[in-house]
Amino acid sequence: MRAGIGRRSLQYLFAYLFVLVALYPIVLMVSSSVKTNAEIFTSPLALPKTFSLDTYRKLWEVVPFADFLMNSVVVSVTSVLLITVTSAMAAFYLARFSYRWTGLLYFFFLLGLMIPIKLGIVPLFLLMKKLGLLNSLWSLILIYTASGIPISVFILTGFFRTLPVELEEAARIDGCNHFQVFWRVLLPLIRPALGTVVIINFIHAWNDFFFPLIFIQDEALKTIPVGMMVLFGEYETDWSLLFAGLTLSALPMIAVFLIASRQFMEGLTAGAVK
Amino acid sequence: MGVPEREHVQPKRKSKARWLLHLFPLPAFILYTLFVVYPILSAFTYSMYEWKGIARGAFVGLQNFLTLFQVEPFNKLFWNAFGHNVIYFLVEMVVQNGIAFILAFLIYRKIRGAGFLKIAYFMPRLLSVIVVGFLWKLILNPNYGALNTFLAKLGLEEWAKPWLGDPDTALLAIILVNCWFGIGFAVLIFLAGLQSIPEELIEAARLDGAKGITMLGRIILPLMMPSITIMTIFTFIQAFEAFELVYAMQGSMGEPFHSTDTLAVYFYRLAFSGSGGAGDVSIGLGSALAVVLFFIVASVSAFSLRVMRKREIQH
Amino acid sequence: MRRYRSRAFVSAMLTAMLVLAGCSGGTNSSPAGDGQSGGQTGNPGSSAGGGAEQVTLSMHSWRVEDAEGYKKIIQAFEAENPGIKIDFKPFKATEYNTILNTALQSDSGPDILQLRPYAPGISLAEAGHLEPLDQLPGIENFSKDVLAASTGKDGKVYGVPLSLNSTQIYYNKKLFEQNGLSEPKSWDELINTAKTLKDKGVVPFAFGAKEGWLLSLSHGVIAPGTYNGNAFVGKILNGEADFTSPEFVKSIQRMQELVPYFPENFVGLDLNDTRTMFFTEKAAMFINGSFELEGLQKMNPDLPLDFFPMPTDDGKTVLTTWVDGSYAVNAKSKHKAEALKFLEFMASKKFGELFANEFKRISAIPGVTTSDPLVNKMAELSASSSTPYLMVVHFAEGNPTTKQTLENALQGMYLNKLTPEQVSQEVQKSAASWFPTFKK
Repeated sequence: MRAGIGRRSLQYLFAYLFVLVALYPIVLMVSSSVKTNAEIFTSPLALPKTFSLDTYRKLWEVVPFADFLMNSVVVSVTSVLLITVTSAMAAFYLARFSYRWTGLLYFFFLLGLMIPIKLGIVPLFLLMKKLGLLNSLWSLILIYTASGIPISVFILTGFFRTLPVELEEAARIDGCNHFQVFWRVLLPLIRPALGTVVIINFIHAWNDFFFPLIFIQDEALKTIPVGMMVLFGEYETDWSLLFAGLTLSALPMIAVFLIASRQFMEGLTAGAVK
Repeated sequence: MGVPEREHVQPKRKSKARWLLHLFPLPAFILYTLFVVYPILSAFTYSMYEWKGIARGAFVGLQNFLTLFQVEPFNKLFWNAFGHNVIYFLVEMVVQNGIAFILAFLIYRKIRGAGFLKIAYFMPRLLSVIVVGFLWKLILNPNYGALNTFLAKLGLEEWAKPWLGDPDTALLAIILVNCWFGIGFAVLIFLAGLQSIPEELIEAARLDGAKGITMLGRIILPLMMPSITIMTIFTFIQAFEAFELVYAMQGSMGEPFHSTDTLAVYFYRLAFSGSGGAGDVSIGLGSALAVVLFFIVASVSAFSLRVMRKREIQH
Repeated sequence: MRRYRSRAFVSAMLTAMLVLAGCSGGTNSSPAGDGQSGGQTGNPGSSAGGGAEQVTLSMHSWRVEDAEGYKKIIQAFEAENPGIKIDFKPFKATEYNTILNTALQSDSGPDILQLRPYAPGISLAEAGHLEPLDQLPGIENFSKDVLAASTGKDGKVYGVPLSLNSTQIYYNKKLFEQNGLSEPKSWDELINTAKTLKDKGVVPFAFGAKEGWLLSLSHGVIAPGTYNGNAFVGKILNGEADFTSPEFVKSIQRMQELVPYFPENFVGLDLNDTRTMFFTEKAAMFINGSFELEGLQKMNPDLPLDFFPMPTDDGKTVLTTWVDGSYAVNAKSKHKAEALKFLEFMASKKFGELFANEFKRISAIPGVTTSDPLVNKMAELSASSSTPYLMVVHFAEGNPTTKQTLENALQGMYLNKLTPEQVSQEVQKSAASWFPTFKK
């Protein structure tokens, strides 16, 4: 398949054009945050003429951003942890053993993929109230965990199924019990799929605004997206401030992803050596 | 925890371990049943009652469903929104998944900077929908927005439009923003599919003289069918549950003139009432709509999953 | 294992590492969750009291932009009532209903809540969530019309009215003077004024059709000029006229007649855009509510701002008014006595003055004046020549409400999908589905 130079450059053009499409709005968001309001109106596309972090200083004063950040971290990390462990255990069971009910159980979990959980918000609110979890970060952790389980079970079960059974049989002959097989042999092997699960759920928990809106009332317990919603409401016309808010709410997630993706590249090359 | 203990009972492993085995799915099962299945089932029972505002009244059987499909304007609004969900799905399939496939293919064919490309395409997915909606609202703003300014700079003033205010473009604009948002994820799924094709197979096909379109259509596409099916199901579910982005950009009325209304937005309006406080809450109708929505999504996805699993077994 | 390497696309995410490291200690995760639930039994706002006399009341509102002002008012109350603390929590207006309804349905919710005016708010009383306030000292000072906004079908009052809203046409005095214009005294003069401005290159109306509620609000200003205010309202209410009557159709036609004087791309503009056009002096007129006054003055303190009421076809002027949200007490509140004490304060003249001066709004409490001449002018006009905002006061019922139907149909008209006649037919159809007088 030798492509001509023309075709090759066309391919590059296409691929990098989409980089522009994907990144430009994000660049615009960051650059607008250091502009003045007047500059945003008069030259929205140009790079900022002056660089000023004043809006960020103001933002820091009007919202308790550090609290929001901390809450988002606690909620996202804890729920991702819970999802990964519980789903991996369930997926192991579903992929490796066939009892009469495993098919049914798998389907039961899959149903969750299709349930728009927001439809159950009122009963869910009642449940959280009964458990005394309203206005607590645990309400968010539990709902993110529960709603993240179906897709995670789906991905992990699929992945477990692709692993050769011989490995486990060998381990069992070596005297490992089910738990040890799961923990020592299989879990390390499904790391790529775990990565997928982690990223998908982390993004979801980090960015959701619906549940914190309903469950959380204390300013100090709000997560970043809800905190920002209040900001949008209160400072509707201060575009520079809003862009700063948008940037600041996106930055932690982008930072985590960038650090993690470098790791991911190294992981790839390490895998190739093996 | 508990690992050493279990090591001690190894001799009796067969009987004891078998029992312990069933504990594996239990935590996931409990959490999922309690916080997803139970609330949804309760919500479904709401659809069988009459509601006065937010107070539950008498049991009315299927009355709410009949109202939803037979009484104006509910039936009109339902089919209007349903049509938009279908458009949502189709446009995402063509634009988002189509472009994503090409991009994934380019990366697969060893384009330079593949690592960077993957990160770049995925970047929008990292933003909260709230942020995405707000950002694009500003970009698409008819008078100060970057898009119209950009068009004017290119001398294409007549192309400038009130993108989100014109019913002919509003829905499409939202869907395209959604494509922008979701393309990176699709690229990764397709790339995984492509990379899972054993190189020997491709090599063998090449020796048989397959190239270009033939290679793509006969070898590559059939072999990556699982990832295409999965992406199709994801897109379908996502398109039929489309809510957050529409809500963030156009509010709960599906403005303008219901041209961006989707079933989930319509549900939100029925169950929680519209923006600005005006409007009756109709939890009964809202729940009935939720049930219908659930059955649409569940039946279609379950069907496709079945087809996919059959095909997988054949391989 | 090379076969699986390919799937590694997200394998080595740092986060994955974190999780894997964390796993080793936490196989049994659900008990951790349950254990935590035992420790967090505190009910959000209402039970902070404990054994001490100090009681904290939670108070919900949809006025995010008023948070600072309320703080001052609440301080004044707390100074007089040392045993009570008020925790004011505003939510974004568009999400307020969702949050409040969810909470009330599950028998929780705040002690004090801001109540949407008329039908939507009253429905909460009908569902049994609100405490009747007929015995509240001070409630007798309000007029019956004002109390109507929070009176249930059982005749009981459920909310202390906060403020009167009025809608009017704001204008930029400087732009009017520069073009030799003065306040129009009739519809034709208004059109001529707009024409002159347009010829001079000034946008006549900062107007956008993207947000439906602003369309019914603007219609609420224009329409009473066409149907001469209250006489027609009476006819509608007793069934002598309906929404297909010529007066009403004409009011819709006038909404269309204004189109040439709206800014470019007006169908895509929202409140934010039009407000900006007006306070940056790019547009000369702005049809909006009294609640915009404070914001406009804050955005551009030098704005030469004034307003005029709508001239009617019989040569008078009319100001469209309604009662804005009132405050109510949750029937399930654990601290009803304290909550009622706060509402008593909200019904006092002292509160009215604090409120009117802080927010530049017309207090619902009779006889309150402010330091702002425009607010006083609004208050005077609403006492002398007001007409109700028909869609909010009488037609905010139905599903979707008649008000929403009008908004949607007007949007359709501006997009050339409906004629004014069709708009009025849609409105009539919606009203006929529930309004007792029209329902045969």
